[in-house]
Amino acid sequence: MKIKIFDRKMLALPYALFMVLFVVFPLLVILYYGFTDGSGHVSFDNLVNFFQSSKTVGTLLYSLFIAVIVTAVCLLIAYPVAYILAKGEYARKHAFLLVFVLPMWINFTLRITAMKEILNVLEGNLAYYPFFNTILCMVYDFLPFMIMPLFNSLTKLDNSLMEAGADLGANKWQTVFKVVIPLTIPGIVSGITMVFLPAMTNYVVLDMVYNSTYIMGSLIGSYFSSYDWNNGSLISAILLMFIGLFTIITDRLMSTDETGRR
Amino acid sequence: MKRGKLLIAAAALAGLLSGCSQKDSEDVVLRISNWEEYIDLGGWGDDEAIDLDDDLVIFGENSLVEDFENWYYETYGLIVKVEYSTFGTNEELYNQITIGDVYDLVCPSEYMIMKMMREDMLLPYSEEFKDDTIEENYYARGLSPFIRNTFEELNFEGESIAKYAAGYMWGTLGIVYNPEEITEEEASTWKLFLDEDHFKRMTVKDSVRDAYFAAAALCYYDEITSEEFLSSDDYLEKLTEVLNRTDSATVEKVEDILSAIRKNAYSFETDSGKADMVTGKVIANQQWSGDAVYTLDQAEEDDYELCYSCPEEGTNMWFDGWVMLKSGISQDARKRHAAEAFVNFVSKPENAVRNMYYIGYTSVISGGDDETIFLYADWNYSAEEDEEDVVDYEIGYFFSDDEEEWEDYVITCPESQTRRQLYAQYPPHSVMERSVVMACFPEEDNTRINRMWTNVRCFDILEFFGIK
Repeated sequence: MKIKIFDRKMLALPYALFMVLFVVFPLLVILYYGFTDGSGHVSFDNLVNFFQSSKTVGTLLYSLFIAVIVTAVCLLIAYPVAYILAKGEYARKHAFLLVFVLPMWINFTLRITAMKEILNVLEGNLAYYPFFNTILCMVYDFLPFMIMPLFNSLTKLDNSLMEAGADLGANKWQTVFKVVIPLTIPGIVSGITMVFLPAMTNYVVLDMVYNSTYIMGSLIGSYFSSYDWNNGSLISAILLMFIGLFTIITDRLMSTDETGRR
Repeated sequence: MKRGKLLIAAAALAGLLSGCSQKDSEDVVLRISNWEEYIDLGGWGDDEAIDLDDDLVIFGENSLVEDFENWYYETYGLIVKVEYSTFGTNEELYNQITIGDVYDLVCPSEYMIMKMMREDMLLPYSEEFKDDTIEENYYARGLSPFIRNTFEELNFEGESIAKYAAGYMWGTLGIVYNPEEITEEEASTWKLFLDEDHFKRMTVKDSVRDAYFAAAALCYYDEITSEEFLSSDDYLEKLTEVLNRTDSATVEKVEDILSAIRKNAYSFETDSGKADMVTGKVIANQQWSGDAVYTLDQAEEDDYELCYSCPEEGTNMWFDGWVMLKSGISQDARKRHAAEAFVNFVSKPENAVRNMYYIGYTSVISGGDDETIFLYADWNYSAEEDEEDVVDYEIGYFFSDDEEEWEDYVITCPESQTRRQLYAQYPPHSVMERSVVMACFPEEDNTRINRMWTNVRCFDILEFFGIK
């Protein structure tokens, strides 16, 4: 009998290696630093201190608040746009899509710089409206990331389902709310994941629009630049927990949604 | 056949290895890490040649690093290969080194040099390097007496900085301001950043040490500006003590001041301040002298006049210096020689001028017997013959420690230069009398100060809802 030296499973090896080296290992390092003190003893002090200080908790809530608003605004703008692009009767549908997605190919610092100059003319002094400017620039920055997944899931949506809704007596709005939106939830969820977490940490945008208030990303950076690997890692771990929590909730939502339909 | 191939491969490999080791025994590899854009890269245009005298024209054709390699070979007959890399902040450099990057010669700022001294990371310079009778010792021969005295008096935990560090560039911390909006008097105090007349029109550096310095000066404003304090014999020593205070009471007061500044200022900026001054978005900006020169130059190109001032309370005298790392050089005498030679090469007056021209900062080199540095300053700033509003500006303290010689170092400059680039590059002696070196914070205070800085920047939920 010939010994099989090549197994198809071996094709997965490079990927597995990659995962271990660049995903699992760094995560373990973050957790190690997050839950030890400077001298390597296991400690929960970092965690306790984080939730005891009104400033750090404030930063967490401030970042969440920014992220929620940015995501909501992105969704409100992107959904109609994606719907019109996907379902509208245009000759050059993809050309229009390109117009919306094109900015994604330009470096975001460049886009924000341009936006800053426009706002400076409109507002006179950017420093008067740091919060508004932050939201505006982040929405501008992240919008394509919301449009793309929505567009994809709307294009895949079978038109006959909408026709069926109309045949059964639903008006236009009812079709949208009872047929289209429930069927594109996966697109909405992936759009939200693409926008929500970056919005919590993208401090470069804040810096650029002169918002001197820290968000989670800047907080991590400030700890790292003062060699405080432990507290910085802990905050990264807290963000990680948010991603985990978020994924679990959306998974639940999507699976109950499917069983509900059956 | 197969064996034959193997043999050939082995022979080739052996040849390669021996080739390598042979090369190793001849060439020295010098790993240098310096600030970004902090050395002349050459490639000057023909119109950029600096014509100081009939037989003294300075021109940057190749990068200084390349010139060093050639110079080293010509002078010592040895080949040195420089691996040159850059860093963006002192902390970044320190992190790279602790993570395991190996360098032989690096150029951090004074407080980072002190931190490295404390952690026993540095090699002292050799006695030979300090010998000013050797022709090639441009550093020992050319170092400004003013800087030399500062270095020798600057002790950190019992040891002199001069033992481990050779200066490169130096300067002050001050305020770049727009004279149309802010008076010279307003810009002569750090209080400017709390002035509500200029609400949201001024930027402060997003750097805990620079912000802390200004706030500490405000914190002890009454004390350090009192007649009694100003006229005391050991004024500078006392001022140094006050502005280096890091006890918890001071840190708490500084936190309040910085929070107030944050509310009043346009923003804390990392790099945007220079451009925002030039475009007129802000009218005052806390800045290092070298960047101030750059900002003023840029504004000038747009026919726009900006000024620079070092506040009366005191200014932070900073410098960047070359230090040799134990982890890189260890026992390698040839490497150490090459590292010291590099420091000497960049300290050669004409090379110092090339650097100053290229990066806008001021070299610690005054040239000793060589006049090049003073000629360059004069070439840069002396008034045109037909100019009317001119003054004599004395910078002798930098060039000589004999006060009687100071009158030889006078630049007749346009009056505005006493508030502009010349003032930034070579501050008058009166400014240096109140300039303080800010030491490396003690370890435990450093943690507290960083926490204070985070507190200033964070969104305080209790304050927002009016609970506090």
